[in-house]
Amino acid sequence: MKFIVSSTYLLKQLQVLGGVINNSNTLPILDNFLFELNDSKLVVSASDLETTMSSVIDVESDSTGSIALPARLLLDTLKTFPEQPLTFVVEDNNTVEISSNHGKYALAYADGNEFPKAIALEDPSTTTIAGDILATAISKTIFAAGNDDLRPVMSGVFFQFSTEGLTFVATDAHKLVKYTREDVKASQVAEFIMPKKPLNLLKGILATNEDAVTIEYNDSNAKFIFDNSELVCRLIDGKYPNYEAVIPKENPNKLSIDRTQFLNSVRRVSIFSNKTTHQIRLKIAGAELNISAEDIDYSNKAEERLTCDYQGDDMQIGFNSRFLTEMLNNLNSDEVQLEMSLPNRAGILTPVDGLDEGELITMLVMPVMLNS
Amino acid sequence: MQSDLPIRKIIHVDMDAFYASVEQMDNPELKGKAIAVGGSSKRGVVSAASYEARKFGVKSAMSGIQAKRLCPELIFVRPNFERYTEISKRIRKIFYNYTDLVEPLSLDEAYLDVTTNKKGLYSASMIAKEIRQRIFDEIGLTASAGISINKFIAKVASDYNKPNGQKTVGPEEVLDFIEALDIRKFYGVGKVTAEKMYQLGIFTGKDLKLKSMEYLDEHFGKSGRYYYNVVRGIHTSEVKPNRIRKSLAAERTFSENLSSEIFMLEKLEHISEEVSKRLTKSKVAGKTVTLKIKYSDFTLQTRSKTLPYFISDKSIILETAKDLLYQEKLDNSVRLLGISISNLNTEKHKDKDKIKDEESTVSVQLKFDF
Repeated sequence: MKFIVSSTYLLKQLQVLGGVINNSNTLPILDNFLFELNDSKLVVSASDLETTMSSVIDVESDSTGSIALPARLLLDTLKTFPEQPLTFVVEDNNTVEISSNHGKYALAYADGNEFPKAIALEDPSTTTIAGDILATAISKTIFAAGNDDLRPVMSGVFFQFSTEGLTFVATDAHKLVKYTREDVKASQVAEFIMPKKPLNLLKGILATNEDAVTIEYNDSNAKFIFDNSELVCRLIDGKYPNYEAVIPKENPNKLSIDRTQFLNSVRRVSIFSNKTTHQIRLKIAGAELNISAEDIDYSNKAEERLTCDYQGDDMQIGFNSRFLTEMLNNLNSDEVQLEMSLPNRAGILTPVDGLDEGELITMLVMPVMLNS
Repeated sequence: MQSDLPIRKIIHVDMDAFYASVEQMDNPELKGKAIAVGGSSKRGVVSAASYEARKFGVKSAMSGIQAKRLCPELIFVRPNFERYTEISKRIRKIFYNYTDLVEPLSLDEAYLDVTTNKKGLYSASMIAKEIRQRIFDEIGLTASAGISINKFIAKVASDYNKPNGQKTVGPEEVLDFIEALDIRKFYGVGKVTAEKMYQLGIFTGKDLKLKSMEYLDEHFGKSGRYYYNVVRGIHTSEVKPNRIRKSLAAERTFSENLSSEIFMLEKLEHISEEVSKRLTKSKVAGKTVTLKIKYSDFTLQTRSKTLPYFISDKSIILETAKDLLYQEKLDNSVRLLGISISNLNTEKHKDKDKIKDEESTVSVQLKFDF
């Protein structure tokens, strides 16, 4: 087995794939990249058992073979090379020899058959979506997903496909984001929960990619196919909470405000809030929004006043400032609307402008009951 | 009696016809006349009656109409609680000259523990006399007092030589005193319990003492033990200065009985606002909302709900009260609605050891309901 490949091209591909590899693996073979050569087509894969990703790399070769090469060592080496052709040759003594303009490097390899096989999807359904739209959907939602091992379903992002559009939902039971694209449709109804790790990988890879991504899915797995790559992952098993039921229907109190101004005030005021609860108080009366925080333990206190557009009864409501900051930060609009009903019901944050045609974002945040 | 405990000296001071006396003092024209503090309207209730009025049988909590019937020349005076509070504070100041262990029960009543007192006086009876004299000299009102070894007997005793008198029940007299006591005079025995006692053949303290703990337990539940002890002169309840408020309430009696829930909602809104205002003023919040419904036939119903967090906000109180109102069909038209908030965040001081201080002070991050 022998192939010649551009050093920077290979590095670029391996760096993406490297994101799949865990820092510590119980199965040592998972510390490797799998190289499967078939003439001029080299398929490189990385896996953590849950997620497997592979890319097809064009190389100069007329041989075949399958080997596993230590990922860390390979990446560290490739990083140091300026652009140049590298020759990989499998030697008889269980090593691969890499030849560069500078010299030779030998590393031990394992048999490719030891590498776990990627999951094959049976009877998948298929939907296509532009890469950058998928990346946006992920980045708009993933921050709201939880980390609770006891509720694994909430540690992922819920994909809801229908003929009307695609909806992506994430929640940690305190905050919730629902991102809908009515301009992208699926051929049939499907629902599944994607774990965070593969989504973070996809978000990074697809951010600037307008090409279509094909998503294949069945009850237990999903596969994302794009460019020369594929990512297969296991889905989170379980039933996603009925999130529609917690979106308050009647919200007579509506606040519209400049997003950046609101965000900056919340940030500043929250510096003075209690270090464990991060709670801030919003007091709205007339066209004035009063944001305040207090840390009684340290006698820290802050208060700001903003003008806003408000319809509804005067009210006071407490929020965790970190949630508000994350949410406001994740929106791009100039102005946002915060709809509320009662101080113990969720507040609904939506962008007023700046959305694409067919794009909808609804963010929910549960309040903090202020104890005074 | 528990002999290992030192004998305490407790005084129960009770102002004589307090509201009415204040009114008579402030308005000399009312002196010597039958007056009632409270509303005279169809639905008004007598809060307090002067001794002149009491002679006619006018009592507090009686309806204004009934009172007027008993005593046609009865003069109704609107209550002025600010004034009563002010005078009550001045009276308390006098108490504090003798002891810091003062437990006010209301504006016109308080327990004092004078076992050790600031004046170093031995006789609790003398202290009571001095306090009553000072209240008369400095404020111009008369008070009665009961002096004994525990709160229960002191309270019963203060009623003995009312008005403007006092009664001491010394340690050696306690048991005889209780035995001879009419069962209705026992603190905690109201109309209903008294009826029950009668049916069980209990008319005096002596009768009560003959019953076993098990027997009382069976018939009176939790209160059984209290009756069992108290009749033996055992009542260890301490005089708690600054009584911790346990609940806060507001209610409205309607000029017409209501049968439509829509009208009730409007009333609940006012009541919620009132309760919320009081909570805010007292700087407290509570977890339990109780809706009190008094039907036109005077039957009383309470419905309550406990939230996982403390509330004082009007809108949440209203929302919870609404839920309670709709929780069950109303039996009848409604005469009175009330909302009370209990499980207050002040209660933490009570059992600091049991509950971590933080739990009741730290605010609660709410979760979605799924």
